[in-house]
Amino acid sequence: MKSREEIFQTVRTALIELFELEAPTVVPEARFDDDLEIDSIDAVDLIDHLSRIFDRRVSPRDFRSVRTVQDLIDTIERLQPQ
Amino acid sequence: MKRTDFYWLRLVGTGLWFLVFGLVTFVLGFMVLPLIRLVTPNRQRRMLRSRAVLGAGMRSFIHGVSDLRFIEYEFIGREKLGRPGQLIVANHPTLIDVCFLLGFVPTASCIVKAGHFRNLITRGAVIGAAYIPNAPTEEMIHAAEAALQAGETLLMFPEGTRTVPGRPLTMQRGAANVALRAARVLTPVYISCEPSTLSKNLPWYRIPPSRPKWTLRVGDDIDLAAYRGVPLPIASRRLHSDLAGLFGGATQVRD
Repeated sequence: MKSREEIFQTVRTALIELFELEAPTVVPEARFDDDLEIDSIDAVDLIDHLSRIFDRRVSPRDFRSVRTVQDLIDTIERLQPQ
Repeated sequence: MKRTDFYWLRLVGTGLWFLVFGLVTFVLGFMVLPLIRLVTPNRQRRMLRSRAVLGAGMRSFIHGVSDLRFIEYEFIGREKLGRPGQLIVANHPTLIDVCFLLGFVPTASCIVKAGHFRNLITRGAVIGAAYIPNAPTEEMIHAAEAALQAGETLLMFPEGTRTVPGRPLTMQRGAANVALRAARVLTPVYISCEPSTLSKNLPWYRIPPSRPKWTLRVGDDIDLAAYRGVPLPIASRRLHSDLAGLFGGATQVRD
């Protein structure tokens, strides 16, 4: 079970690596579509990448309501084994 | 411009062909393919049989309209299509582009408009042949990936819809993404139709003044190895921009 802070760091590293984002732009409040310019195809790549790192099979449906980096962290935390 | 090549006959004929096409699609989708389903329990064989039937239908349609001199066509490099794990990307100037490609490469799967899975006429056919709906995005990407990994040939129109005449060609990034995820080989097909007809925002009865000719030219395979070595989103953006350049240069969009 990873802490919220660990999850945030993992997500942040992934975003910087995959999309060549500048580190300071990746904050919990950042919106994927407007602030980070991540579209639906990027989202598929991101979710596939994270599910490999966290070693969890996930359904894209779990991520439908994700709008911000914080939403993503919350969703990953919820999906972790208890 | 002067109306030539038996304009009125071509007009009435075009209307008839539309009717026949819809009718045949419906009969295949709701009678022939369900029959195939009944007698073919094996999924893989059922899919191939269904595609063979639909492909034969589309090929007959093309032969019919060209034998009766409604259209002319030239298909250059057809033998390069239909390889296992091959992703075929084509531009999409007219309504019947898919009939040429699936008619002559009948084993291929195809990404089709999700609406075709709800439309009463096309529904039976696209489900029977296990084509892939273009939405939602994540399901399309994963289904396309699975089809290519299983060794199927896959056809995609990266524009997502027909080109709007007079506007520059705009492509979606899905094709580049799918190519880098799973294609063994990526092959472009450049389609043009002269004079323009059956394009976006044009009703079927606005037929051109002279007999239209389709030219389909299969391009050289695109080397995917050149894009590896960086994360997928970056690689797919590079490939996408190269594809857009290739198609933008190879096709001229006319009013």
